Amino acid sequence: MRYGFYIGTCLFLLVVQTTIFPYLPVLRGMYDLLIPFVIFISICLPMRESLPCALILGLIMDNLSGSPFGLYLTFYLWLFIGVRFIIKFLRVSNKFLLLVVVIVAVLIENILMIATFAFFEPAGQLPADVFLIVAQQFLWALATGPVFLLCLLTLAKRFNLQWDGAAPQPNAYG
Amino acid sequence: MFSKKMVLIVGAIILITVNVILLSFSTKSQSTFGLGRVGLSVVSPFQELVTRSIRFARDIWDRYFFLVAVAHENENLKKSLNQFIGKNNQWHEIDLANSRLRNLLNFQKAPNYKVVPAEVIGKDPSGWFKTIIIDKGKSDGLQKGLPVVLPTGIVGQVIEAAGHYSKVMLLIDRNSAVDALVQRSRARGIIKGESADQCRFEFVLRKHDVQIDDTVIASGLDGVYPKGLRIGRVSDVSQRNSDIFYEITVAPFVDYEKIEEVLVILRPQSQTFVSQQ
Repeated sequence: MRYGFYIGTCLFLLVVQTTIFPYLPVLRGMYDLLIPFVIFISICLPMRESLPCALILGLIMDNLSGSPFGLYLTFYLWLFIGVRFIIKFLRVSNKFLLLVVVIVAVLIENILMIATFAFFEPAGQLPADVFLIVAQQFLWALATGPVFLLCLLTLAKRFNLQWDGAAPQPNAYG
Repeated sequence: MFSKKMVLIVGAIILITVNVILLSFSTKSQSTFGLGRVGLSVVSPFQELVTRSIRFARDIWDRYFFLVAVAHENENLKKSLNQFIGKNNQWHEIDLANSRLRNLLNFQKAPNYKVVPAEVIGKDPSGWFKTIIIDKGKSDGLQKGLPVVLPTGIVGQVIEAAGHYSKVMLLIDRNSAVDALVQRSRARGIIKGESADQCRFEFVLRKHDVQIDDTVIASGLDGVYPKGLRIGRVSDVSQRNSDIFYEITVAPFVDYEKIEEVLVILRPQSQTFVSQQ
């Protein structure tokens, strides 16, 4: 049940953002929906499950995207490490914190993409529409990111899918 | 000997360094360490299922509930067709004349390319890169580096081929480059991806004649795209005093936001000038 939920959610998010969003003009500037999901698994799952899950997601995203191989893998790995680190000190039930975490994660992913263009590409020039892309993703993350993450957390709680004793902080959420 | 904090900091520094080195290596070498097809094989069947379902629903709407607009469109198309029939006759005459002249010059006939039609089943999940996933792969003869086209122009090239699916980098991706010519003046340069609706035409010398609305075609010199494939139309030309090259913007003929089917050219052969014995 639990693994079915995670695999189903991953597949749903991957398929939605590669098949449905690109055909809807208003959603073309949507941020990476797997960011809230990686934050969610970092909070809810024990490390032995969440780390492989984050790495596999990064690998799949690298396969589906035209990005240099390892970019998403890198980002999800560090997002996972970052979230595991901050929930040692902060309460996850704080909704403002969730808002900040999602938005910061989206911005960091964008910075990583821009850094890739700037440092690794031969010409080193940034895309002409760089500000538009970042602004769109930021606004979408602001509007939907925390809601989406809260939905995932609520679903996990309702179906009793969250940590089973090996979670990073048993009183972190709920 | 070492505190836990120190071990963590050193570990983090080592991890970051290894990470940056690997990322740099994969970017420079375009290598996926043999893992490039895993995600394609796992996720693409679901992409295909969803894409076909959406198209099926849209086709039902277009073919059965939206016929009023189709009737108007049909009238307009009939008018256009009559005009094009006239033009087609002219072109047929020119084609015959061209064949006769080529025979006179003993040029080899332009090769007939073997193409594989494919359907687009997914697009790049990020807004930063421009790739698509198609429903044909190695089992259909596709391999890395093959050109992907439409009758209207160049789409891109295959950058990863799995068993039944492939990833195609679009012409408008920033990593894409095509050796190109201005059809009218034969001015040569490199078409580089820029954004969804335009490309840059770089390294065109200012001594050549380039004007707005000129058609840009593939030169065939990059060894990927056959010569003569249409790319786009010059939409802006400017020149800086200190620069020896033009700054040219090209609007591609292909609408990359609406691509649904593409053609993959299997064995492009360079056009050779062998005299017929």
